[in-house]
Amino acid sequence: MEWLGRLGRRLNMLRGRREFDDDLGEEMRLHLELRREDAVRSGMAPDEANAAAKRQFGNATLLAEDSRAEWGWAWLEQATQDLRYAVRQMAAMPGFTATAVAVLALGIGANSAIYSVVNSVLLRPLAYKDPEQLVTILHRGVFPASPANYLDWQQQSRAFEAMAAAEYWSPNLTGTETPEKVWALRLTPNMLPMLGAKPLLGRVFAAGEDQPGADREVVLGYSIWQRDFAADRTIAGKTILLDGAPYTVIGVMGRDFQFAPFWATRAELWAPLALGPRAANRTANSLRLFARLKAGTTLAQARDDMAAVSRRLEREFPGTNREVVVTPLKQNVIGSVEMPLLVMSGAVGFLLLIACANVAHMLLARAASRQKEIALRLALGAGGTRLFRQFLMEGLLLGGMSAVAGLGFAAEAVKALVALGPAAIPRLAMVGIDWRVTVFCLGLAIATAVVFSLLPTLQARKWEPGAALKERSQSAGGGAGLPHTRNLLVASEIALAFILLIGAGLLVRSFVTLRSLDAGFNPSRVISMLVSVAGSAQDEPARRENFYRQLVADVQRLPGVESAGAINHLPLGGDLWVFPFQIRGRPEPKPGESPRGVYRLVMPGYFETMKIAIVRGRAIAEQDDATSPGSIVISERAARTYWPGEDPLGGRISFEAAGSGTRTWLTIVGIAKDVKQGDWAADPLPEVYLAALQNRSFLESPMSAYLTVVARTAANPAALTAAMKNAVWSRNPNLPISDVQTMEEVVTKATAQPRFEVILLLIFAAIAFALAAAGIYAVVSFSVSRRTKEIGIRMSLGATQTKITRAVLRQGLLLGLAGSAIGIAGALLLSRLMAGMLFGVRPSDPATFTVVALILNGAVVAASYLPARRAARIDPIIALRQDG
Amino acid sequence: MSVAMERHDEIPPGTLYMLILRSLARNGVMHGYEIANFIQQTSENVLQVEEGSLYPALQRMLVKGWVTASWGMTAGNRRARYYTVTARGRKQLDSEIARYGRVGAAIGRILGTA
Repeated sequence: MEWLGRLGRRLNMLRGRREFDDDLGEEMRLHLELRREDAVRSGMAPDEANAAAKRQFGNATLLAEDSRAEWGWAWLEQATQDLRYAVRQMAAMPGFTATAVAVLALGIGANSAIYSVVNSVLLRPLAYKDPEQLVTILHRGVFPASPANYLDWQQQSRAFEAMAAAEYWSPNLTGTETPEKVWALRLTPNMLPMLGAKPLLGRVFAAGEDQPGADREVVLGYSIWQRDFAADRTIAGKTILLDGAPYTVIGVMGRDFQFAPFWATRAELWAPLALGPRAANRTANSLRLFARLKAGTTLAQARDDMAAVSRRLEREFPGTNREVVVTPLKQNVIGSVEMPLLVMSGAVGFLLLIACANVAHMLLARAASRQKEIALRLALGAGGTRLFRQFLMEGLLLGGMSAVAGLGFAAEAVKALVALGPAAIPRLAMVGIDWRVTVFCLGLAIATAVVFSLLPTLQARKWEPGAALKERSQSAGGGAGLPHTRNLLVASEIALAFILLIGAGLLVRSFVTLRSLDAGFNPSRVISMLVSVAGSAQDEPARRENFYRQLVADVQRLPGVESAGAINHLPLGGDLWVFPFQIRGRPEPKPGESPRGVYRLVMPGYFETMKIAIVRGRAIAEQDDATSPGSIVISERAARTYWPGEDPLGGRISFEAAGSGTRTWLTIVGIAKDVKQGDWAADPLPEVYLAALQNRSFLESPMSAYLTVVARTAANPAALTAAMKNAVWSRNPNLPISDVQTMEEVVTKATAQPRFEVILLLIFAAIAFALAAAGIYAVVSFSVSRRTKEIGIRMSLGATQTKITRAVLRQGLLLGLAGSAIGIAGALLLSRLMAGMLFGVRPSDPATFTVVALILNGAVVAASYLPARRAARIDPIIALRQDG
Repeated sequence: MSVAMERHDEIPPGTLYMLILRSLARNGVMHGYEIANFIQQTSENVLQVEEGSLYPALQRMLVKGWVTASWGMTAGNRRARYYTVTARGRKQLDSEIARYGRVGAAIGRILGTA
């Protein structure tokens, strides 16, 4: 423990340092006086005695310093001194300091913000137990599987510790303040234990609770528990109404629990999945399968295992087991955003490099102007190490200030990113600045500032103090190496800015192309709302038809409404159901090879309201009711795909499988233009529109007790919201209405991610552009001010103003062109990486490259023009007299 | 730098702490000037310290906890810093004396063989 006592004494000394100096001084003074007095007493002359005492004592200043040094705080004292000096240096040049800090803070802040997003979205493990063992098992990696497949796979596979299924569910929650259609999932009881999810209150499902009749239980999500049940801690055991049926709440999940992590991410209520008679179904693919790998089993082994199982089943049940893909769960979650986020990280990294380059040549320029100061200090005996430490301290100070400013900026930027970010980015809401980001930011700032602050000392150490002091003119200042370094820096800045501008330019072009795509419908002035009757009095088959027919008629009659209709799933905004069908008169297709179509059910007025053109034949109309033979409208794509070179009108198709008893044959009465379906950029699939009022399954199935009502208005569609809701609630105040939105909003949401990407990259590119232009300006004007005398000589020798202007402009433009050349090469290499983010434009799009090159070099000329004009206005007489 | 007068010998390196500790151990409480004088006089003016170098040495001993210091008044009624040896200082003194004895004896033996 001796060191502890010593440390205590040392800290004590540190605390009373001023007192220490006083004490030591007094002690030494006393010594000298006593010695002198003794000498005088022994007969020495006072003057002589004084000198002798001093001689005998030694160098008091040095000894005092040594005494202080014994305490081991010398480094701290020097650091404090350096810091004070650095602060004075910074304060003496407030403009320089503010600019450097702002530029660095911008680069650091932007990086920290993007890194926060990358960290939360891509890097952080999923919030389940041992998430790296979790996988999904889906057809082609995305499509759901059938109940029979689930059971067979579970039984026959060997690679998994557990396999669980989830099915989308959207019940109406009634009995609360406002009836609400909630997002929910039905889960096999083994799902939550497999995820390692523990409830906040109560319990999760037990084995056996997936039997029909025993499945009337729910686990609530934290958000719905807060919102609709006032965070009631005694809720376990209480009953709530879902689709009109009583369900017992058995548990509540914690705030951080989210399931599923991709698809149905808004689910906030979970019930057991009872397959019942559906267990034998091999064709209704509605289950998403999740599994946990056995300990020690690799993904490759699991894939082999599932391949063997599905091959066997495919032989037994042809067409049911194709392309069964095992994917790590995290891949499903981040798959769609990984590339854009990595591109953004790269872009923001470039931005930081540009900011660093800018600050670096600011520091270099400053070092050049401080050359005499440095030489003087070297001449006065400051060691190279001491100078190095001095610059280090200046770097640390600059970096520290930038880091603080950068973190502040990052905190705001993250808020903006979360607010602006499209809902499709998983886990975005959970983004925050954590300690890792803070450390990252601090490290980045300090490393940057320190590296570039120390750069000048590499040069400084070569300087001959004598030579630098003698040098009176600034004209050769900066040393031979520095202009090269600065040119190199600014050319790299331009190259990096070029690459960023190319990235932004490509995204802009791609986005413009995307937005110019024809939706197939006219979204302006159309409003939609989803109305569900599940569990209500209107749910009964006999009343459902009437209810929707009257509702559409009521909406139609609202003032300001031009037309109204309804559809089961809104294009772009709703679900996509793809069903196989059979064409009459053609041979029975092989299993798995039937024609398929996106399955839409519409009410009369839908096509007219959405302005979806009917190319041939007619739309679904009032006459298509339960009493008339079935009609169907198909899309152009369906016609082209399944009736190539034939006229589909009058043809008949059926959605019932052969051998399923009586088949209903629907007659094709019209062909409609293709419409965007799920993904805005994707080519539409073949699509079919059935008359809702003729469709027995729609009228009777509990799975489809909802329709989306659409209305085209004369003016502002949003103004109709209240009246539309009222039309529903005047018939039944307990019906939930959800997704009230204009079609413009639907389209905007469908293109939200590319818009987000283009905005982000545009911001980065704009900052990069500004910094690069500022860099050019700084370098060219610096060189003009250094060459004042040279320019003066040239002018006095007859160079015209135009000639001088041209020479300066040429200097800037050369840098611009050199940077652009590197930029083109870099952009060609890198833009390929973002091919997946582009639509309708090649990564090497010549138009984008040309425009960017013109803009950037235009800016270079503009930035060089100001110093060029200054150079041209130099008065040779003044210039020559200047500075001897 | 050295101001030692010719008739004096400089103290052997590394023995200054031992001398200071010894002075304090014998006399109890002393201030710097007294220590310097004591060493000089007791050695009959053979050992001469560069007087100022006492002070860095005293500071180091303070850090190491061999001595403590407190302010008091001299006979002439002036403020002076008085040093006292601590238990740890005495232990250090013992070990330094022992070491010095060993080294001295060894050197003596080598010189004796000549």
